[in-house]
Amino acid sequence: MQKTLNSRATAALILADLLNSKGSLSTALIKLRDRSDFPLIQELSFGCCRWYWLIQSQLEQFLNHPLRNKDRDIRCLLMIGIYQIREMGVADYAIINETVEAARELNKPWATGLVNGVLRAYLRDETLNSSKNKECPNTHPEWLSRLIKNQWPAQAITVLNANNLRPPMTLRINTQKISRMNYLNLLKKQNLAGSFGRTETAIILDAPCRVDVLPNFKEGFVSIQDEASQYVPGILDLKPKQYVLDACAAPGGKTCHMLEHEPTLKVTAIDVNSSRMQRLTDNLDRQNLSAKTIVADVKDTKKWWNEQHFDRILLDAPCSGTGVIRRHPDIKVLRTYDEVLSSVEIQKNLLKNLWKCLRPGGLFLYTTCSILREENETQIANFLKSTDTAKCESIKINWGVECEYGRQFLPDVSKSGHNPDGFFFSLLRKI
Amino acid sequence: MYPIKLLHTSTTGTLMALRTILEFPDLRLRTIATPVTDFGSSLEALIDDMLETMYSAGGIGLAATQIDVHQRILVIDVSEDRNTPQVFVNPTFTISDQENLDYDEGCLSIPGFYETISRPKTVVIHSQDQHGKHFHLEANGILAVCIQHEIDHLDGKLMVDYISRLKRDRIRSKLEKKQKAL
Repeated sequence: MQKTLNSRATAALILADLLNSKGSLSTALIKLRDRSDFPLIQELSFGCCRWYWLIQSQLEQFLNHPLRNKDRDIRCLLMIGIYQIREMGVADYAIINETVEAARELNKPWATGLVNGVLRAYLRDETLNSSKNKECPNTHPEWLSRLIKNQWPAQAITVLNANNLRPPMTLRINTQKISRMNYLNLLKKQNLAGSFGRTETAIILDAPCRVDVLPNFKEGFVSIQDEASQYVPGILDLKPKQYVLDACAAPGGKTCHMLEHEPTLKVTAIDVNSSRMQRLTDNLDRQNLSAKTIVADVKDTKKWWNEQHFDRILLDAPCSGTGVIRRHPDIKVLRTYDEVLSSVEIQKNLLKNLWKCLRPGGLFLYTTCSILREENETQIANFLKSTDTAKCESIKINWGVECEYGRQFLPDVSKSGHNPDGFFFSLLRKI
Repeated sequence: MYPIKLLHTSTTGTLMALRTILEFPDLRLRTIATPVTDFGSSLEALIDDMLETMYSAGGIGLAATQIDVHQRILVIDVSEDRNTPQVFVNPTFTISDQENLDYDEGCLSIPGFYETISRPKTVVIHSQDQHGKHFHLEANGILAVCIQHEIDHLDGKLMVDYISRLKRDRIRSKLEKKQKAL
């Protein structure tokens, strides 16, 4: 058997596949988890997406003519080379040697000279290297930065910069099993430092770590979840024994959190994707919780609904993901405005079809991890126009921007780690 | 890391030699190998050649089939430092865990191509060593993948048999073109 491709060549192929619009970065990386150089491959591919537009424009200055489509892997490899020079503290000669070697391993020995030449020219060009700490204007696709600037004029610069940062690793403590303070002490014994978040369950780690070193993870003391999502049970005002629908539930972070918060709830969790549903079941099992799980297209209520009305409905709708770009930098590279519009259509149908499943007086929480008004405020405004049985409730929490029909979290650059993902909440009551 | 050429001392004192590795679609790769019964000095010489050939080609495993010797012998070294050779004679395996592992496999007989192949993640190997002594070994991860890949060779099977005909034909024509040029 042949040795596996080296880390740079592997990362280049992952990026090339991504640009060929084959899935997402995180799914592409899953199958490499067992490799010893996994952290490096992850760093290279995530980093390259994070700075994609900038690196691409710089690369163009060094190429006399564009590379052919079938040599996309070499273009990705060049971008990985530039990323390493810009962002990683590795010796220059090592970067060049390894990246040239990767071209050979990609079966394109003709490209070794090109890679060598471009990377050396880049190193010589002081102006490009020294620009790395300045504000970078072109780190987003044009349509996205324009939308953000139009919709959030006061916060746009912060949002764009925040999207280029690495996200904090945030834990959700199951306070039924251990107090936050005691868990922080357990972490300290493992030499892991963290601090309390704003919600009652959040601990933000000072530095990310592997899941398997978290104390009592298998026993369900703790889960990984961004702080924004941890506001959900509080906003939904859950009461004992209520009948709750989690409409797009997988992988089940919020399902489990609601049950931890109020163990007597009767939760129905639905998702269309069976393999993601398996992760939800695993999460429930790990935390020793139970919920009714159904694999179905939730908007097709005839297929799964028994006509019993829910007291609470959580719709964490599929969306553009523009609030979680720091966690999924490939969104910056791949997402198009057409896809935003098709998410808007999906969300509209979900709202319309699920509204009838809510009992009068019940609460419906609509959330997205988007920061675009099309998917958030405008979506809710249009829904309210289409029905006279809904009214919007105000959400009283200590973070985010108050909007007319909900509350918007925007990505923030705070260094303390207390900066939840971009997220939108809208709470509707049925009259 | 680029493969470093190692110098091996032969255990039998004979001169070691690099053997030629057969390349897909050579039909000799489809031969089913026969079990080894003679554990004499000629076997040791063959194993030395196989190790030398594997290391010099930058491989992590080589089956005797690949050098046109149709006996059930494998050499493997999956270590980072490439200093832990393992020899398997007449190997078989049983699957001990139904979980599968997706791995981008490459093959010395199919140079330059990598394909994602899903195989059982953990297997138990039953084998003999170069002296004929029986042993068992539980392998997982890359070692499990590599052993299964090499045992396939002994049965005349190649990793391209696991992928689509379209991909296989593309690889075949590219390699044939390259072989013609040489």
